[in-house]
Amino acid sequence: MNFLFPAFLLGGLAIAVPIVLHFLRRDVAPPVPFTAVRLLRKSPVARSKRRRLRDLLLLAARVAALLLLAAAFARPYVAGAARGTTLRIVAIDRSYSMNAPGRFAHALDLAGRAIDEAAAGERVAVLAFDDHVDTIAAPGSATSARTTLAATAPGFAATRYSEVFTKAAEIAAGDEARLIIVSDLQRSGWDAEDRSVLPAGISLDVRDAGTAPSNLSVVSVARTPDRVIAAVRNSGSTRRTGQIRVEHDGRIAQTSTYTIAPDSTADVPILYRPPSSGTMTVSIDDPDGPPADNSRFVVLDAVPSNSVLLVTSGANPSGYYLARALAAIGGPEADQIDVGTSTAAALADDNLTKYSAVVLLSTRALDRRGRESIAGFVRAGGGLLIAGSPEVEAAVVAAVFNWGTSTTGTIEMPAAVALSPTDPRHPVFRPFGSLSANLGQVRFARAWRVTPDGWDVVARFTDGNPALLERREGSGRIVLFASDLDRQWNDFPLHPAFVPFVIETIRYVSAPHDRARDYIVGTAPAGAGSRPGVYRVGPDNRSIAVNVDPREGVTTGMARQEFAERVERVDTTNSSSGDARAVHLEARQSYWRYGLLLMLVALVAESFVGRA
Amino acid sequence: MAQASTSRDLRFLDPAVIARLGTMELKARTVVEGFLSGLHRSPFKGFSVEFAEYRQYLPGDDLSTLDWKVYARTDRHYVKKFEEETNLECHLLVDVSASMDYRGSAPMSKLEYGSVLAGSLAFLMNRQRDATGLIAFDDRIAFRMPASARPGHLHALLLALEQLRPGERSDVGRPLHQLAEALVKRSLVVLISDLLDDPEPAIKGLRHLKFRGSDVVVFQVLDPHELTFPFRGPSRFRDVESADEVTADPASVRTAYLRELAGLTLRYDRELRGAGIDYVQLDTSQPLDFALLSYLSARARRK
Repeated sequence: MNFLFPAFLLGGLAIAVPIVLHFLRRDVAPPVPFTAVRLLRKSPVARSKRRRLRDLLLLAARVAALLLLAAAFARPYVAGAARGTTLRIVAIDRSYSMNAPGRFAHALDLAGRAIDEAAAGERVAVLAFDDHVDTIAAPGSATSARTTLAATAPGFAATRYSEVFTKAAEIAAGDEARLIIVSDLQRSGWDAEDRSVLPAGISLDVRDAGTAPSNLSVVSVARTPDRVIAAVRNSGSTRRTGQIRVEHDGRIAQTSTYTIAPDSTADVPILYRPPSSGTMTVSIDDPDGPPADNSRFVVLDAVPSNSVLLVTSGANPSGYYLARALAAIGGPEADQIDVGTSTAAALADDNLTKYSAVVLLSTRALDRRGRESIAGFVRAGGGLLIAGSPEVEAAVVAAVFNWGTSTTGTIEMPAAVALSPTDPRHPVFRPFGSLSANLGQVRFARAWRVTPDGWDVVARFTDGNPALLERREGSGRIVLFASDLDRQWNDFPLHPAFVPFVIETIRYVSAPHDRARDYIVGTAPAGAGSRPGVYRVGPDNRSIAVNVDPREGVTTGMARQEFAERVERVDTTNSSSGDARAVHLEARQSYWRYGLLLMLVALVAESFVGRA
Repeated sequence: MAQASTSRDLRFLDPAVIARLGTMELKARTVVEGFLSGLHRSPFKGFSVEFAEYRQYLPGDDLSTLDWKVYARTDRHYVKKFEEETNLECHLLVDVSASMDYRGSAPMSKLEYGSVLAGSLAFLMNRQRDATGLIAFDDRIAFRMPASARPGHLHALLLALEQLRPGERSDVGRPLHQLAEALVKRSLVVLISDLLDDPEPAIKGLRHLKFRGSDVVVFQVLDPHELTFPFRGPSRFRDVESADEVTADPASVRTAYLRELAGLTLRYDRELRGAGIDYVQLDTSQPLDFALLSYLSARARRK
């Protein structure tokens, strides 16, 4: 028996308290002169004996309760408890590439054999993975693992290996185990920089279910006024020729032929003028590869624009940098942001409902109707980005939403003050990744001093003052940037991080207005199915197209050795790993719960004996 | 009887009042006169008392004692005085063992209470010209004063009672047997003891006395603590005679103790009454009139 926090065992010394009290209590019984002791002796003698026994029981119960409490706090665990039987973790790839003819059946066969190889008493767990991992059979008997495995089917998501190792380490919980991965070993399952970590106590066994000899996949579909251009990927080693079809609302509208060189992608033009509404499917025939990537769905309905209204002071450069940054957005139509501009004075005459977000860069001449217009817009679900600039009066902003005074003027900042995300996983900063350090290069001279009552602080200045805050107002979302976006109080617009920061912030505040038409399996909004197709979602019943991740169509595999080399082994013999193992063991065994339970039993017993 | 006494009368019989009085003679006189004062207002008026003499009426005398016939003959007011016969020999046996020195919450110890009781009885007997003797004992006879009705004997007896000191262990049976053998004349024997030791020898000794023709009255004097066992909290109960100790939680043993005591009382009551012996249990916190009335009752039977 080991203890995670043995220092707590010193708390066991507290047993001295009931012992001392016990003996003190014995001395407390004072001598009382009496005459009829002869009468008293007849029954009290026996009672005295019972009382002594009761006292001992009470003492034992109290000492036991204290010892159990101390032991529970010390978090006991048995280091070798799980070593009597080893653990076998079988992870089977269920990405849609496994749906190639014969692949998944072969994978099931390999996984079944891996289960059958389990020694007597060896526990078996089964994981199914694509871009996430599910434990479909918790550690248990091989028989139940077999049963569960038989019910597994491939899905439509892409492959991602790294989570398998994380899950395996979690299940092994510091014990020795054997991880058997059954997969087609697609190279695309590893992200470029991805190196996964696996504890050295878990041996890795990779079993290749074999990649499809070749695969054709429709990677993307683009439209021009007079034609449709499909990008088709040939992952095979031979040239592929075939027919490509365009269907509109289920009827074949046009066909064309393609010829794709080995291991390459080609744009296939199809002379078809796509309608302005309905759904379009571009399909090819590929008997060798998985069928899910043979078609790509496109919703032809116009994408409602994502419009942002910049409320400026009307003078340069108010809104200039922001508008330029938003204009820099490229990519799909759905990602584009239309920028409108208005002055605060003219805001009341503007119809805000056509915008998904408003950026408040000035409150000069913002009258009551303008304020009510903004407040109503946000509460109805609109987004609002407020820049804490000299053009924006904090009192006016507070009056719009009836807030208390959360802004207490401006602060002069030393030259060294920069921006630091509080939560790098926040949607505004997530796309920055490791590049979020670039935000530290921005220098702020002045900013609003904001008391974050009712706000969530997303980023702070390096002097600790809140820099980016958010809150909900009705159905809408408000983000407050405590400095300006017009290069008056900082040099932010001159830094490369400004454009992604502004774009992501605008997208974030206007998030409730999701207008995208094209989704990857697993990322589609609620209401969409889990397989590729066209679905109607949302309150506006808009059509969306859900397609498979095109990366999965690249079926190029890798050798088992190379696969294994991608996995970094962590030696669990060093102290920190040993500690982690102890923590895992303790967390899994959770003997402290039993300790507390027994303590409660001891206290209940003490209560009963005490009352007897 | 107690119902017949007024609060004014009981004031003179209250142990708390008696305990504060000086000499035993004063205590005994106060008790007896208070008792008799109460008795005059009771249904036991004239009980066992015979005419002794006439005395000229004095203001304050009860008008009911006026002899109207004498008034008719002499034209003077005379009241009738009564007295008992003087041929009774009474022996007061007072237990002076260590347990009699116990005093819980009562104003007097059992020995003090018993002494006042004995003195009161002696005073009462002396008024009725009875010969009174005193025997003090623990496990043996510690002091003995022969019965006598001579003038001055009462004073000596009361002085002896006042000087009684607690002795050692009690053994009621032995002095009772000794007294029974020594008595040559049928007498009234009054035993004043707590009777907390083995009841068997005591009952045998008392029966022996009864067998020898004596009338026996037994006063079992107990302290309120012995009667109610009001102790709280775990205690080591140490016997005042044997020094034996019993550790007990009074709350848990009270019922059993009281049951034992009730059993002991019941046994004395049953066996002594069966033998024609008066058995009276007294509480040292209670007035003494009940004891005196018990004596008079026994005295009446003797007559």
